[in-house]
Amino acid sequence: MLFSSLTFLMVFLPCTLGLYYIVPDKFKNMIMLIASLIFYAWGEPVYIILMMLSIALNYVCGINLGEKEEDPVGRKKSLVFAIVINLLILGFFKYYGFFIDSINQIFPVDLPYRELPLPIGISFYTFQAVSYIVDVYRGNAKVQKNILNFALYICMFPQLIAGPIVRYVDIEIQLRKRELSIYKFGNGVKIFLIGLAKKVILANCTGAVFQEIMELQMGSFSALTAWIGCISYAFQIYFDFSGYSDMAVGLGRMFGFEFRKNFDYPYVSKSITEFWRRWHISLSTWFKEYVYIPLGGNRFGKARQIENILIVWMLTGMWHGAAWNFIFWGVYYGILLILEKFVWGEKLQKLPGFFQHLYAILCILIGWVFFFSPNVGYAFDYIGIMFGIGGSGLFDGQGIFFLFSNYLLYAIAVLGSCAFGAERLNIMVRRIRNGKVRTLIVGVSYMVLLFVTLAYLVTESFNPFLYFRF
Amino acid sequence: MVNQYTTNHELKENRHYTMSDIMKYVIVAVIILYVAFLLNFSSGSSKSFEEVRKPVEAAIDTKKLQDAGAQGLKRFYSLNAADYDGVLFFHSKFNLSSAEVLLIKVKDEEQIHQVVEAIERKQQSRINDFEGYAPQEVKYLEEAQISVRGKFIFLSVGKHADKYKEIFSKSL
Repeated sequence: MLFSSLTFLMVFLPCTLGLYYIVPDKFKNMIMLIASLIFYAWGEPVYIILMMLSIALNYVCGINLGEKEEDPVGRKKSLVFAIVINLLILGFFKYYGFFIDSINQIFPVDLPYRELPLPIGISFYTFQAVSYIVDVYRGNAKVQKNILNFALYICMFPQLIAGPIVRYVDIEIQLRKRELSIYKFGNGVKIFLIGLAKKVILANCTGAVFQEIMELQMGSFSALTAWIGCISYAFQIYFDFSGYSDMAVGLGRMFGFEFRKNFDYPYVSKSITEFWRRWHISLSTWFKEYVYIPLGGNRFGKARQIENILIVWMLTGMWHGAAWNFIFWGVYYGILLILEKFVWGEKLQKLPGFFQHLYAILCILIGWVFFFSPNVGYAFDYIGIMFGIGGSGLFDGQGIFFLFSNYLLYAIAVLGSCAFGAERLNIMVRRIRNGKVRTLIVGVSYMVLLFVTLAYLVTESFNPFLYFRF
Repeated sequence: MVNQYTTNHELKENRHYTMSDIMKYVIVAVIILYVAFLLNFSSGSSKSFEEVRKPVEAAIDTKKLQDAGAQGLKRFYSLNAADYDGVLFFHSKFNLSSAEVLLIKVKDEEQIHQVVEAIERKQQSRINDFEGYAPQEVKYLEEAQISVRGKFIFLSVGKHADKYKEIFSKSL
């Protein structure tokens, strides 16, 4: 089920919220769990069994770790067992087709295989399960003996299928006790509506422009069109994913949970290092905590640190998809981060802010080309056209048409993707001295936003979130 | 040395399998069985459209069904055959029959939703057409075999719907 579907907004959410607030506190987790299972089964009736098996496995592995407190060797073996099995499940469902395809491409063989669709959310809930196991092993969290609470942690519907990846230590206490208030609920609704509008209005509209450009024959468009396509995708993926994260945070708050923010205006970054502190924060944090630091981080010299960064970024690329272009995309960022750390980071900081932004945006946009391209060859051809090689010149009527027919959309997208837009709105609201008038105006504004979003939803076709496929 | 030996020895002596040790292996075994089940009954195939099409087409009763092709797909489902990797569409020669066989290989998984929606829409519209005067056809439509296996989408309606579906499953 999609957050941006009418079934979710008009039936599922009101019913779940109603039941959740009616039942006594001790049944709230149960209601949330049942709702989460229905939510998942709606789109993935077959794979709900896999998710339940994953829950059972990790619950038992957690208990097993707890039982071996006095036996460090056995405890370590239990940890390795749990991690290996989790990664094998993820690896099988996500990468075995890619693995056989790669063998077929490299060697003169044609191995047939049975394709399995990727279970939605598997990358997210597997990472959450690993976070639980490692946190318990490290002693940062207690073993969760209540299977209901544990199942809720793994499959809580607000963040189940596209994150943010919630670390167990961050939510352990909230699973037992959390605060519910009308203020928190209202705040959650507000964040949810902003996320919904980001997805339905901005992501889908910029996505439509990107789709039109992607359907053009390679080489038949100009550099201007290529840049518009790439910028459109940059906006689409940002508003799509950050919109989903906002909706998850907002929904969580409606149910009394506090999730950390997953995006912090990434396109205002002045370097790639800063970009990755602002983009998909929960994933970067997960890789830092559970891969980079255990690998040794920066504790064993420069060479080892470079190796660790490259491993982490190759894995980050692979996490996004079973294709070479994603691995390339990950390594591309790994190399940029290494260069910023050891070669030009300090020099970059001395440049005027404008040039720092320009550098970061250029690197990010080129990165998105690797991300959206079906293969690495296509990506290089596309980048070539962006810089005037292989396309139909620098400008053409088509590019100018795209620009002029969407300039308002891009202006709103720019404002929406930097803190400036939100700050100006807040200042305008704070200028209204009368509290009641201010509340009324803000309330009406959000209602208008909801109606506009619903109007878009009623008329548009199926439009899933981009991050569902990861 | 002696103490070290004693400690390790004692640990070995004391080592016993707890319920959670056994449970985790049992769950892993269930996961393996589940994956085997998925591969057998729910997976798609890396085979080309042609490889899957041939056995299905060979089994079709051409006395009752005729190749409706891309035009038929457009007429009955409002879908463009060119948007997909391959399309096989056989439709009944008789207006009073609901029989048909449809096999589509989509280019990417995002197209699945669109095709399934079109199939469901058409099925409902055919049920409405036949309701009241052709109960047997309504029954066939209600018992239609729809199968989504990876990028392959299969539909068969009519007396031999089960047989066609079985051939499709085996061809993957």
